[in-house]
Parts: sequence; C-alpha cells; structure tokens
Amino acid sequence: MNRVSKHFSLALAGLLAVTAVAGDLKIGVAEALTGGAAQYGVPIRNGFQLAADEINAKGGVNGNKLVLVIEDEQGKKEEAINVFKKLIFQDKVLMIFGPTLSNSMFAAGPVANAAKVVAFGTSNTANGITEVGPYVFRNSVMESDVLPVTVSTAVKHYKIKKVAVIYGNDDAFTKSGYDVFKKVLEDQKIPVTTTETYVKGDVDFKAQLTKIKATNPDAIICSGLAEEAANIIVQARGLGLKVPFIGGNGFNSPKMFEVSKTAGEGTFVGSPWANTNPNAANQHFVAAYKAKYGSDPNQFAAQAYDAMTIAAAALKTVKITGNLPADRQALQEALPKVSITGATGPFKFRQAAPKDGKPSGYDADQKPFIYVIRDGKFVLFTGK
Amino acid sequence: MAAFADFWATYSTLVYSVGIHALLALSLWLTLSCGLLSLANAAFMGIGAYTAALLTLNLHWPFPAALLGGAVAPAVVALIIGAPTLRLSGVYLAMATLAFGEVTRILILNLQITGGPEGLNGIPLLTTGWYIVVILAVAGYGLARIRRSRLGRAFEAIREDEVAARLMGINVESHKLAAFTLGAVLAGVAGALNAHFTFFISPREYGFENAVDILTMTILGGTTSLIGPVLGASILTLLPELMRFLHAYRLAVNGLILVVVVLFLPTGLWDARRFRQLLKNRRARKGGQP
Repeated sequence: MNRVSKHFSLALAGLLAVTAVAGDLKIGVAEALTGGAAQYGVPIRNGFQLAADEINAKGGVNGNKLVLVIEDEQGKKEEAINVFKKLIFQDKVLMIFGPTLSNSMFAAGPVANAAKVVAFGTSNTANGITEVGPYVFRNSVMESDVLPVTVSTAVKHYKIKKVAVIYGNDDAFTKSGYDVFKKVLEDQKIPVTTTETYVKGDVDFKAQLTKIKATNPDAIICSGLAEEAANIIVQARGLGLKVPFIGGNGFNSPKMFEVSKTAGEGTFVGSPWANTNPNAANQHFVAAYKAKYGSDPNQFAAQAYDAMTIAAAALKTVKITGNLPADRQALQEALPKVSITGATGPFKFRQAAPKDGKPSGYDADQKPFIYVIRDGKFVLFTGK
Repeated sequence: MAAFADFWATYSTLVYSVGIHALLALSLWLTLSCGLLSLANAAFMGIGAYTAALLTLNLHWPFPAALLGGAVAPAVVALIIGAPTLRLSGVYLAMATLAFGEVTRILILNLQITGGPEGLNGIPLLTTGWYIVVILAVAGYGLARIRRSRLGRAFEAIREDEVAARLMGINVESHKLAAFTLGAVLAGVAGALNAHFTFFISPREYGFENAVDILTMTILGGTTSLIGPVLGASILTLLPELMRFLHAYRLAVNGLILVVVVLFLPTGLWDARRFRQLLKNRRARKGGQP
C-alpha cells in the first residue's frame, strides 16, 4: 500500500504546515481523469508526466526535481474547486496545471487567483477565462485566433463566395466556436446563406442538410464535436452535397475518420499543433510519447507537454527561497517572460485586456496550423 | 488553530456543499412527505440559482435580497405548473416533473440573458458559512414544526391514503400544492447559495442527473425523519472526497457502498423505528439472562 502511505504522509506534511522538502518543486495537476472529459484529461496528464520525467532525467530544474501531485477533478466544477483548494492549502504546490474544461476553470480559477497561485490551463479555449485575474494563464490557443486563419485560407483556396453554417447549440464549446465563426464571417464579409443547429446526441442531420443544399452554398462551416461532425459530413455526401467543409477545433480528433472514412476530403481545419510539424522539439515529443504510452499523442498532450516546458523555463529563472507565498509570486512574475519553441512551435504569452479596470491573466500568442483532409488523413496545408 | 485554519482553507467548499445538498435533500423530503415523487427539484434549484445570480450580477442587489428572489421565483413557477401536474400521481407525476425539468434546462440553454450553454461566470463570492448554517437551521426547525402541525399531519394522511384523507375533509389539492411549492422554495434557496460560492453556473448542472442525485441522497438517508436526508446528503458528498486516495477506483467503491446500503437497509440509513426495535431487542435479551 505504497500509494496509501504516500498519500497519508502528504496529508500529514500538509497538516503540520511543513514546506516542501528542499530540492523538490511541487506542482499540482488537476485534470479530469474520470467521467466524460477524461478523453481530454488523460492525454493531458500523460503530456505533463512525459515532460516532467524528461526534465528530471536531465537533472531537474537548477538541480531541483519536479514532483507532480496529480488529482482527478472529474470535469465537475465543485470537484475542481475542491481539488484546487487541496493542492493550494494542503499539498502546498508552487502552481497548478488544469483544470480540463473551461467551465471548471471559471469555477476554480478565482480560487487560485485569490490565493495568489498560478492556475495554468492547457485546454481551456473559452473566451473570458483569463479575465478571472493575473494568476490565470493558458497556452491553449483561443478559437478567435485560429478560425480567422482557417476561414481566410479556405476562402482563398476554394474561391468561396457564400457559406452555410451548422453548429451544436447546447454545448459551450461548439456554441462559442459558432460565435467566433459568425464574427469572422462578418469581418471577412462572406454572406451566410442559412444557419442551422442541432443538439448533442443527434444522429440524423438530413433535415438541416436538405435546407442547406437548397441555398446552394460554396462551403459549409461546421462548429461541432468530432462524433457529430463526422455524421454531418457523411450525410451531406449522401444527399449529394459535394461542397467542402470548414471545421472548428472539435474536428481535431482521430474519431473523425472512424465514421466519415474518406467522405471528409478537402475539409479545412485549424489547429495549434501539427503531428507532422518537422521542428525538432515536436519530432522528439511525438516519438517519446509513442514510446512511453504506446499510442499517438494528440493536440491536448502536446499542449500539456509544452506547458510543463514553459513552467520549467520560468522556474529556472526563479530563486526558490522556501517561503511559499514569495516563491509562488516569483513564479507568477517569471512566467510571462518565457518564450520557447516547443511541440506546438514558437510560443509566448500575451496579457489579456483588463476587465473592469482589473488586470487580466495571460493568453497564448501563437500561430495556428491549417490542415486539409486528404485520403482520410490530416495533411498540413502548404498552399497547394 | 493553525491546523484548523489549514483544514478550513482546504475543505470549506466541501463543507458548504454538504449544507447545500442537505437543503436539497430536505426540499425533496418535504414533497415526498406528501406522497409526491417529484423530479423537478433540480430545475427549481436552477431557477433559484439563475435568478439570484442575475440579480447580483446585473442589478447589484444585496445578497439577502437576491436570496429572497431565488426563493420567490421557483415558488411562482411551482404554483403555475403545480396546479395542472399535481393531479397526477406516482410514476406519472415523476414523468411530468421530469419533463418540466428538461423544459426548464432547454429554456435556460436557449435564452440570451442566461448566457446559453456557456452559462454565467464571474458570480461574486457572497455565500459564507453563516448563511448556510442559519438557513439550514431555520429550514430544519421549520420542517420539524410543520411535521408535528396540522399541515404535516395532513401531508402524512395524504401520503398514506389519498381517498381516506379526502373523506376526512382534507383539501388534497391545496395541500399537495403547498408541499410542492415549499419544496421549490428550499431548492431555489439552495441553488442561490450554491451559485454564490462556485463563481459559475451552467444549464447542465440542473438536469436529470442532478434530479436523481437529490433523490438518491434523500432515499439513502431515509425518509422517515428529518435526520435521514441530512445524513444521506452528508455521506454522498463526503464519501467521494474521503476516498480520494483510492484514485481511479473511488467511484466504483462509492457505487458499491450505495448498492450495499440499499440492499441491506431498504428504508434508508436512518430509520428511527429500526433503532427503537434494536434497543428493545437488546433490553429483552439482557432481561432474559439469568
């Protein structure tokens, strides 16, 4: 029962208010490891673990080892708050990675911000996350940074004049994706022939697609999760709709091809990460991940891996004093200065616009990759 | 003291959640005490939460006034939908209230003012332990008084036999409506309190799953007294947290414990009659010894 005793001693250390053993840098990881959001949370945890193991194998940060305290937040807001408080007040970590879902960050972010501890999200794409406060960071690229590039690239490639839109209107992720698409289309002055909606779990989209077909668009913009998006594409082809699709972040999943096979040919998708990106950091990450976990990494694992690298780079510049509040503060001040080239390419932070006069946290300042689907695979779009 | 300050900093939210869940379980206990199997309490919680959150976010009302708003809004809705649906009974009522819950959720999902599927965020932290303690105490005392009053006896009569109760001159419809509405008030207040310490609310928190959670807490604790629902709520809230050291297995163990309780204690954990029986048996055995 090594696990139990380890946990017990951690709790004991927390109760006695003993600071971390000199030489150990305790970092909290709060991700959804069970429940519906585990499909994102588990690769994220793997990404953190891989990066931390590699850093420790190279002698740690300035000779100090990274120790991860991993907790399951189940993708629920109350759990996220509980886990954050446990990590901050009991495990006394330097900073926290997570939580997995944007909704959980809206609930747990204020807790970390009030305690002056960095909360670093790697998968939260919703607008307004970093408005919680200056202790909230993320390296996940917002849809509002990705979609304008996706749309303008596709429009140029296919010479699109007008588009139809379909999106899931009961999901925070797909709805916010739609809001961004809507604004992008207005900005780029592309007329919309019709806007159709569906709800999570729908399997028959023929009614909406028939309407779309009647309006004769040049392309279909779809903000949906992979399961629904794949069905929409297959059914569109079945109805004889041959126009290309333009997808949101939800398309970035191997699940797309399990259902749609090759029906999605020519679909444009934007992503912060490309598995085929030839930069050395990415090639190393893809190979190391596969060797350790036996499966291909996804975007979420890549962003987690990079986030750990970013934190390690910041910690390198911080002089750890053992005074926890001071060390946490120093880390918060060091993070915005970091700029690295990781698995997702060149990265730096950008402070979000202040809200109600209060300072905001830090968003990712990164260029997205544009993919096109060819032969049932995501292929990096290079302009041809 | 340092140890306590540490404990409180870590677990205050958990303790608040126990109080909120206890209020919810009591709200359902009240409707059950009148023989109404209602699955609408999660929706009432949502109505209370959204009303109070919108009042503090947009109109900057003081918290007690917002709480009052969170109590009144679900009561009004309960009065409106209660009149037609409470003619139903048993599983039919469960189905109708379930449908009402779904309608409420989808309405919140599609309204502009509620923020749609993205929910409301940035709700100020206004709930303190005292609010929860005082409201829970008042609710507990009030319910205990109601139970021993004319109203409570009428509820019990209706639950045991509706026809007999009617023959004895009890106005069944208005009593059912009263139980339903009072339950909605408690659930609404619980929602309003919850919204003001979790910073964020979204429609999916008030769906079918939560309706079942509330029902589970009440049934697990036992409905024969007021202690049962509070006990059930406390256990179901604390158990997953206590078993955090089990990591991936904790939800499975959590479920297992529930199954065992339901199999061996079908009337719930807290059953005053069973305790009395146990005590009697023990005394009898002691008396029987030479």
